[in-house]
Amino acid sequence: MLKGVTRLVSRVHKLDPGHFLRLGTQAPQSLAAHLDNQVSFESPRAISCTSENDPAKHEEKHEGQHYNLPLQDMKTIFPHGLPPRYAMQMKTFNEACLMVRKPALELLHYLKNTNFAHPAVRYVLYGEKGTGKTLSLCHIIHFCAKQDWLILHIPDAHLWVKDCRDLLQSSYNKQRFDQPLEASVWLKNFKTTNERFLNQIKIQEKYVWNKRESIEKGSSLGEVVEQGITRVRNATDAVGIVLKELKRQSSLGIFHLLVAVDGVNALWGRTTLKREDKSPIAAEELALIHNLRKMVKNDWNGGAIVMTLSQTGSLFKPRKAYLPQELLGKEGFDALDPFIPILVGNYNPKEFESCIQYYLENSWLQHEKAHTEEGKKELLFLSNGNPGQLERLCAYL
Amino acid sequence: MAAPLVKAVLGSSDLTLSVRSAVLRFPGFTQVRWSRYSPEFRDPQIDKDYHRKPWAELTEEEKFERELRKTQPIKAARSANTSSVFEDPVISKFTNMMMKGGNKVLARSLMTQTLEAVKRKQFKKFHAASSEEQATIERNPYTIFHQALKNCEPVIGLAPILKGGRFYQVPVPLSDRRRRFLAMKWMITECREKKHRRTLMPEKLSQELLQAFHNQGPVVKRKHDMHKMAEANRALAHYRWW
Repeated sequence: MLKGVTRLVSRVHKLDPGHFLRLGTQAPQSLAAHLDNQVSFESPRAISCTSENDPAKHEEKHEGQHYNLPLQDMKTIFPHGLPPRYAMQMKTFNEACLMVRKPALELLHYLKNTNFAHPAVRYVLYGEKGTGKTLSLCHIIHFCAKQDWLILHIPDAHLWVKDCRDLLQSSYNKQRFDQPLEASVWLKNFKTTNERFLNQIKIQEKYVWNKRESIEKGSSLGEVVEQGITRVRNATDAVGIVLKELKRQSSLGIFHLLVAVDGVNALWGRTTLKREDKSPIAAEELALIHNLRKMVKNDWNGGAIVMTLSQTGSLFKPRKAYLPQELLGKEGFDALDPFIPILVGNYNPKEFESCIQYYLENSWLQHEKAHTEEGKKELLFLSNGNPGQLERLCAYL
Repeated sequence: MAAPLVKAVLGSSDLTLSVRSAVLRFPGFTQVRWSRYSPEFRDPQIDKDYHRKPWAELTEEEKFERELRKTQPIKAARSANTSSVFEDPVISKFTNMMMKGGNKVLARSLMTQTLEAVKRKQFKKFHAASSEEQATIERNPYTIFHQALKNCEPVIGLAPILKGGRFYQVPVPLSDRRRRFLAMKWMITECREKKHRRTLMPEKLSQELLQAFHNQGPVVKRKHDMHKMAEANRALAHYRWW
């Protein structure tokens, strides 16, 4: 309590008197954060933050407001998958706050009303660069994690189709290629997220790793994951087994499965990987990609598939491309058809104001002119309401 | 041959090349940077508030000045000078000095990354400190930058004076602009030369700026060395004639 007051006092000295006169509110700004969000006067905390931290209860009225994610949850739910600049911001502010926006609210509404008997519905988040597709995906993942779904999160599919140092010929199928490093890293993160499910799910088939090692029917999925992490050569096959088993067993109803893929256009694009004789490798010749394509097909039920298109990491796609047809190509679009497209756009004026208020609350905007109306108008003009651009601008102001 | 030469001398005042300014800044120095503008060209007024002031609020002198500007030709504004509220002439000058080969995009991005790095470091320190210390920690990267450069400015400089066949380092007073230039130059040279091959410029520059802000570090040390040399050579001060 005392610390809050002293922090408030130091903040009071930082803000100029004109700021207070304009707001018309005095001391209880940070104290209001602890109170319910039904404050009658328009304090900046009421515009920018809400105390409703459960994604299941987010409604239209929370649109534009930031909610707090506990840092401990962030470590378990998101060992990978946060955008790098957001991770830096989390480290700097010592807190993780996410804005509730319309596309995420729409998706939450659909997910709450999913019929688990029907085949899994595919949702595709698309939009221009920097509009917040990955963070909307993170919002959805947080919601599903809170609802105790099993999260299958591929942080960036583009990382699997480029810059791979060691490609092995797959032992399972001679035509395909293994990527041991990427697969083992993913398995480690998968284990961190879904620790509690790994012992409950039992595999329903016997798998033989090599002449000496095999895994029996009825052993837990945790053992498969362990085998993949310790024996890096078999990591890709372990990933394949995990995906196959989860797809088979999600219809049984023991758990709900969320498949979240960021940068799904990598699955149907070109790769920059080459064989020893310098001939290019197509995407389907990579075992990880092949298995993921099967996962993203809607021939299973008991969950949902949420995907994001991304031009940023993509290969051989023009910078301005953001529509599903442009990024997925004919093959990808036909494979994903039918899907529900959700457009993620720039900030509207209310969201922009909320974002600026959030930065001001955390004293991130240190430049004196950034507090003024002129400064805000200029930031709006320079960023055009694009969340990514705004974040980069405010970083050095 | 004399007649054409005289004509050339008389004809020079009609050319747009500016004449050497009547007041020489230093007896030892000649003006090297010529301007394509002749002397009657006025500098552009970039400040938005100057132009937004309504006519009724202006004083008599300001009204006269406005009317006068309508008759005078004005130079074109530089593309790097904006009417943005966030514009800072010191930062612009530093960015220009960091620029290599005309790559302003790179220089500006390095500058913004440096300011961001300074801010993040200060925030980290802020969150780690106790509440009494938090009031003393400065988080504004612009104040840190300005204060650091002010701390690096030398008060007195040295000039090489030729006397009796030998060059002596003589202590001389420095003008404001020379001091600012030297502070920026030392900062940039220090960061370019004394850094590991793998560290990036924003990282090194932010480190040096923070050290200079607290009056420590190699750039402030260089300033002190300059002062000590000037103090040691103070007997030679009478060699200066200006």
